[in-house]
Amino acid sequence: MKVRVVRSGGFAGIERHGESDSARDPVLAGLVDRVDLGALSPPGRIPDQYQYDIDIDGTSATVGESQLSGPLRELVHHVLNRPR
Amino acid sequence: MRCTIVPPHILDRVASAGDPELRDIARRTLVLSSGARTERRMFPAEAAAPNEDFVPNRTIADAGHREETPGKTVRTEGGPPTGDKSADNAYDWLGVTFDFYEAAYRRNSIDGAGLKLLSTVHYGKDYDNAFWDGSQMVYGDGDGRLFKDFTGPLDVSAHELTHGVTQYTANLEYYGQSGALNESLSDVFGSLVKQWHLKQTADQADWLIGEGLLADGVHGKALRSMKAPGTAYDDPNLGKDPQPGDMAHYVETYRDNGGVHINSGIPNHAFYLVATAIGGNAWEKAGKIWYETLTGGKLSSTADFKAFARATSATAARLYGDTAAETKAVKDGWSKVGVRI
Repeated sequence: MKVRVVRSGGFAGIERHGESDSARDPVLAGLVDRVDLGALSPPGRIPDQYQYDIDIDGTSATVGESQLSGPLRELVHHVLNRPR
Repeated sequence: MRCTIVPPHILDRVASAGDPELRDIARRTLVLSSGARTERRMFPAEAAAPNEDFVPNRTIADAGHREETPGKTVRTEGGPPTGDKSADNAYDWLGVTFDFYEAAYRRNSIDGAGLKLLSTVHYGKDYDNAFWDGSQMVYGDGDGRLFKDFTGPLDVSAHELTHGVTQYTANLEYYGQSGALNESLSDVFGSLVKQWHLKQTADQADWLIGEGLLADGVHGKALRSMKAPGTAYDDPNLGKDPQPGDMAHYVETYRDNGGVHINSGIPNHAFYLVATAIGGNAWEKAGKIWYETLTGGKLSSTADFKAFARATSATAARLYGDTAAETKAVKDGWSKVGVRI
């Protein structure tokens, strides 16, 4: 499964992008099964916090920084920190 | 967790879509989800005696590199310096910002009623951000490669505290144009606090936001420029400053809460034009017009650029007269960035 993450917002307002494919990324493969994008609430609009747009094989969600926890948090940081 | 039927990404798409009616409903829904975290004073605070000296009540806490607030208290009001530069910077900059709002506009803290100020420092590991969470400020140390410690520059602290002032007054919704105005007001007063602290007139100020925050070797002088939006940095790792300085270059996006940190360049530049046209200390007249507009009780929480421009023009006319140079400067400033009053 192809996973794309875009981080936007923050005081700096600078975007960061990350992308990976679970077929070639065993860590990601272990995380995608534990994440349900449909179960997330809308992003909290907190001044200068990050906003994350997450896309897993065409299914996407937008969440605020304070909503990132557990496997979703691991997934987001894993994909954003992958060397391009 | 709050349950919704419509997934947030759909709401986000709709919120930035063409149909104004649908867009408004979606935006309202998105904004409601953050409502639980924010507090707003519904009635104006009791007026203070004209000669009352307002005193801050500051607390600095240390998150110990965890992403948790508030953390362990390391300094309270009147306490000695801790020796930790981040904690002491945060304490000092809270004080300067508090003093600015008192000296310039007779405001007693963020809420106008002496609210206690709380800052958490050393939040997270290599955390490249600072934010206002609805009740306190939070600072990361920066990763050292792209960003330095966020407690360093005074205007970062003043920017975050002003988010608090906005929350307790016009409470501009943090999405789209009202969100970009919320951001811009934080940049405007962030810069004014710095100018006041450095005793700079409008023509002496650098009009930069976050000067001193970029790590050594990064190609840029700051994060935003109110004087020349879009020119603050251009770096292989950070990319190029994306801010527009006029409506012709307005950016439509659903990211960043609808581009709040991008399109804030437009009202930022309008303020710069007004302040430099009026001249002198920017906080005295241009800042006063913006402050009275923000806190006057008439500005809608969903105001767009045009509504805000009209409101500042009305404030200027009330303070200085319909045909005054100050009022003309306000109208000209908005006109130059393409916002028609």
